[in-house]
Amino acid sequence: MPELLIRNGYVFDPLNGIEGERMDIAVKDGKIVESVGRKARVLDASGMTVMPGGVDIHSHIAGSKANCARMMRPEDHSKDPEPKTRHTRSGVGHTIPSVFTTGYRYARMGYTTVFEPATPPLKARHTHEELNDIPIIDKGCFPLFGNNWFVMEYVKQGRIKELAAYVAWMLEATKGYAIKIVNPGGIEAWRWGGNLRHLDDTVPNFDVTPREIVRALCQVNKILDLPHAVHIHPNGLSEPGNYQTTLDTMECARDFRREGRTTMHVTHAQFTGRKGWSWPDVRSGAPEIADYVNAHDHVSIDPGQLIFTNVTWMTADGPAMFALYKLAKTKWFNADVEAETGAGIVSATYKKSNYVNAMQWGIALELALLVKDPWKVYLTTDHPNGGPFTSYPRVISWLVSNQARQRLLDKINKTAKRRLNLPGIDREYSLYEIATITRAATAKSLGLVSKGHLGSGADADIAIYDIEPKKIDPVKEYKAVRKAFAHAAYTIKDGRTVVKKGEVVRSVQGRTFWTKPKVSDDIMKTMIADLEAKFDDYYTVRMANYPIEERYLTASQMITTNAGV
Amino acid sequence: MDSVRNGCAISVSRFTTSDKSRLLKPLVRKGGKLRPTTFARAVDRAARILNNAKYPLLYGWSQTSCEAISKGIELAELVGGLIDNTTTSCHGPTILGVQDAGEATCTLGEIRHSADLVVYWGCNPVHSHPRHTNRYTIFSKGRFRKTRKDRKLIVVDVRKTDTAKLADRFIQVEPNGDYELLTALRTAINGEEIEQDTIAGVPVETVEEIANMMMECEFGALFFGLGLTMSAGKHRNTEAALALVRDLNYVTKFVIVPMRGWFNVTGANEVSTWQTGYPYAVDLTQGYPRFNPGDTSAIDAIARGEVDAALVVASDPVSHFPREAVKHLLKIPIIAVEPKRTPTSEAAEVVIPSAILGVEAAGTIYRIDGVALEARRVIAPPVGVRPDVEILDTMIKRVKKLGVKH
Amino acid sequence: MADLLITPVKHFKIPITAECISPDFVAGKSLREIELTQVWEGNRRVKLGSLFKIAGEIGRTPSDCTIRIRGNMSAVRRIGYEMSGGSIQVDGDAGMYLGERTKGGTITVAGNAGSWLGTQMRGGHIEVKGNTGDSIGGSVRGGTKGMRGGMIRIHGDCGTEAGAWMQNGMIRIGGNCDLYAGMHMKNGTVVVERDCQGRVGAQMTGGKVIVLGNAGGLLPSFQFEEIRERSKADDEKIAGPFYVFSGDVNEGGKGQFFARVSDNPDLKWNERYLER
Repeated sequence: MPELLIRNGYVFDPLNGIEGERMDIAVKDGKIVESVGRKARVLDASGMTVMPGGVDIHSHIAGSKANCARMMRPEDHSKDPEPKTRHTRSGVGHTIPSVFTTGYRYARMGYTTVFEPATPPLKARHTHEELNDIPIIDKGCFPLFGNNWFVMEYVKQGRIKELAAYVAWMLEATKGYAIKIVNPGGIEAWRWGGNLRHLDDTVPNFDVTPREIVRALCQVNKILDLPHAVHIHPNGLSEPGNYQTTLDTMECARDFRREGRTTMHVTHAQFTGRKGWSWPDVRSGAPEIADYVNAHDHVSIDPGQLIFTNVTWMTADGPAMFALYKLAKTKWFNADVEAETGAGIVSATYKKSNYVNAMQWGIALELALLVKDPWKVYLTTDHPNGGPFTSYPRVISWLVSNQARQRLLDKINKTAKRRLNLPGIDREYSLYEIATITRAATAKSLGLVSKGHLGSGADADIAIYDIEPKKIDPVKEYKAVRKAFAHAAYTIKDGRTVVKKGEVVRSVQGRTFWTKPKVSDDIMKTMIADLEAKFDDYYTVRMANYPIEERYLTASQMITTNAGV
Repeated sequence: MDSVRNGCAISVSRFTTSDKSRLLKPLVRKGGKLRPTTFARAVDRAARILNNAKYPLLYGWSQTSCEAISKGIELAELVGGLIDNTTTSCHGPTILGVQDAGEATCTLGEIRHSADLVVYWGCNPVHSHPRHTNRYTIFSKGRFRKTRKDRKLIVVDVRKTDTAKLADRFIQVEPNGDYELLTALRTAINGEEIEQDTIAGVPVETVEEIANMMMECEFGALFFGLGLTMSAGKHRNTEAALALVRDLNYVTKFVIVPMRGWFNVTGANEVSTWQTGYPYAVDLTQGYPRFNPGDTSAIDAIARGEVDAALVVASDPVSHFPREAVKHLLKIPIIAVEPKRTPTSEAAEVVIPSAILGVEAAGTIYRIDGVALEARRVIAPPVGVRPDVEILDTMIKRVKKLGVKH
Repeated sequence: MADLLITPVKHFKIPITAECISPDFVAGKSLREIELTQVWEGNRRVKLGSLFKIAGEIGRTPSDCTIRIRGNMSAVRRIGYEMSGGSIQVDGDAGMYLGERTKGGTITVAGNAGSWLGTQMRGGHIEVKGNTGDSIGGSVRGGTKGMRGGMIRIHGDCGTEAGAWMQNGMIRIGGNCDLYAGMHMKNGTVVVERDCQGRVGAQMTGGKVIVLGNAGGLLPSFQFEEIRERSKADDEKIAGPFYVFSGDVNEGGKGQFFARVSDNPDLKWNERYLER
């Protein structure tokens, strides 16, 4: 691979404090280096914006429920086909793209790393088969722990060390990256058609509470020194008044602070950021949540921005999906996973004229604008729940331009417009802040030290956008901003140009990141004995068939940590 | 293979007969007869046939691994063909039903742990899935249901099968009357009055009794098979069953699971769906995936005389397809990639012997409920016999070398 | 009216997808341009002119165009795709997806037509002298939006699911209809002049299915309303008397199913629900 010199672009590298400086970026052997020789290939980035490749912290792109959604929604695909080209395989898109299309569309936007945020451990093998097939991007997945029988039993017994060993074992077995919790205890209640609404409700038959589950896993996260925070989707999704549960959840594990790292990341906070008692009465809980995030260092959030379009709701939160199905009356899919978790899928359309949808749209933007520190709030649409990931450029245009927001505010449900705080917020994100929330902060939050920045030693994942910061006024020219972020001038992955002028010119294999915490042999032995005693009773597969071997991942990237047990 | 322990009748025979009727050498038709040739020549002939075809079909897949299926899709896209699997003649209607009604399902362990009511509708697991009742339903032991007494079994079928003999309640439905009976159950469950006295041969009082059993259980599981998918109504029958279970979820917890038959057919659906967006009957002739069973499905396309070449992988359509389709199939060049001598391989232009998955070749497979497992290799295949993955990979390389016409 | 004459030059076995055979595409183009238009023949791109002899005149706007096709077009798909005006006359059989998404204009077929005729039609008129296949006037796979305007007239028999997910418009079948006429219907009218195989109006939420012959039974999710002397299909009054049922109750439906009394003795038992 020849050396590469990206010359004269306006570089935005928040992790290294570079804010639109004109400078060169040198690439050698897939990494960013201080300098390269005279024979290096030169890419002239004059007049363009250079950023690290995008890092998406939460996007449902692979695995059992994504595939069930694809299978259930042929009508989603038929209107958005992707013909094959010389460099690309064919596929289909829209809300649940097929795997090849997923990789290409991310790359076209200058994204180079994406995490699948909700993997049922028993079906993790499926997730990895799909991740293997997604071209170009680096990836990883978060296995689900919040309704797991072994977890709940250890929590009940107060055996934190063994729980830590179990989580470590599971991360290796499922080749997962981080701890994910969805509706803790609620999906176990859904076994009997129920749900849990509050942190102190009791999980039927297990006699533990969501609070206990969340606290225990946050404690384990700290003990294992995992690279990311505990990634959590709180109880009460979509329920009016659920903002309080979000606040309670954020507060409940505050004592498990980690130095220089967050304890907890609350995802798609728009869905759990509602005040009010009933649907016609839904209000924004964004100010309260933002205040909390502003005042505390142990949490971060992502809003899960809503887009007014046809979407597919998909989440492990089975009961929440049935509740939404009963309102939407479209198509509903449910798939509980023995001893572990669940999944629910519903097709839906968000309309500007719909009061609740308009409020949701506004709440998400309020969260992004009221949280002051861009290192604490990340750009997501909780793809495909809020909107397809291809909408990110549109979200960027709303964040950089109040004018763009106001135009849309004039078109939404009038009562929502009156009740939202958004009309009165005129903050506008700078390009530097956009770079932060789409790559620098997310990489940092994930603990990916070689991603999200352009310093020496970083992976040469680079996005070049056709925006000249000195000449463009994002406030007025937000459409041009949107267009530029939708079609990267160049996307470079591990030093190779994969996208040129918004078209894929080369396909490469990305790596799958997973975490292996090193736990002491003694505690691991004790935990494995517990596991072996119950495995055949709990599962319908044998324990020997459960773990996924490393060779299963086409390109495995293991991260190790030294656990405190 | 000397003996197999712990297998059910069906799986044991897969191992113990693995050496019967084997194809051992690549064959190519010359002068009307199949003659032995080299692997390279057979692949070359196959590649040319597919490359020259204007509407080739790549069919089978359910007896191969996900890795092989992935290669199949790559090949179909390369040569511009239809790729379809045995779903098309089996549980295709189930998928079509899900595409309209959704599905409330779970992994099999959930049923073992929780189900106090089990319904088998139009299927006979005592014969088709001999371990089903032991592992997952009435004879299984779960966390919340420990004995047979903790569960009730309802069987609905057109005749009293061996599975029906195990039932607490057996409902005999008139042939082709399932849609009416499912609709009547929905009506009762939705609290509406049924005005008819009998529905598909079942008295309305019985319908109401069964509806009550379903509503009063704590966790019900409905399993269904070809009795629904292949009787009049097909995907509307499955849609009605899916809708029934969905309606029941307003009242109690209920799930539905199809009784799939063809080994890794679920895997074929999964791989096809994540790579093309569609689970079977995928048309890649125009450079992007299209899906419309009845148009893009194997049997229909063949029966209309449209297909001009067929690659058949681990399947025997000459034996299983309807006569109209077989008549045409026998007129076009067939490439058979297959472990055993079958009527399809006998009719082929090119035959490439392949290893048996789960016996001689490893690979990923999917259980009915979407749990992926790794099938292992237990013995070596006969000398010169390769796994499907390798055969297909070589074919892809050869087609690329020849230069695609499509 | 300018007539464009299209004649197949051979018997087609491999499917051909030719959306360009539509007034909206040909309007204002030269014969040469039309001949050079690329279509799919199986997996090959070929020029329309290599499959068809193309002669005659072309109008400047769609409404000025008449396309006359003579020959067996049963392997040719998507004729008349999205047309907004003008007319297509097929003197032979027509293939699948005929008149998909049409907004206006007229298509007539002297022979039979394939399945998925008039999918998502919004306006215009499609008439088939022979028989047709399944899912006419319906939706795409997995979709819930069928035809919402226009008229489909089939003189012969029709397959399953005529008018599936129909939102509005009219379908008239002169012959017999297979199962599930009016499946998932939301609005609009389906009239079947002869017999239905059964399961009429399954899961409908609105609209009307009127069966003049034997309807093949009644689904348990329908409730008897009354006997009516006449039924109405748009402005046309059709003489009965008819048994009138409403349903599908499982979908909260307010659709109506009319079955002519004289042809449906197997539904006579409903008379016990007549008000005394």
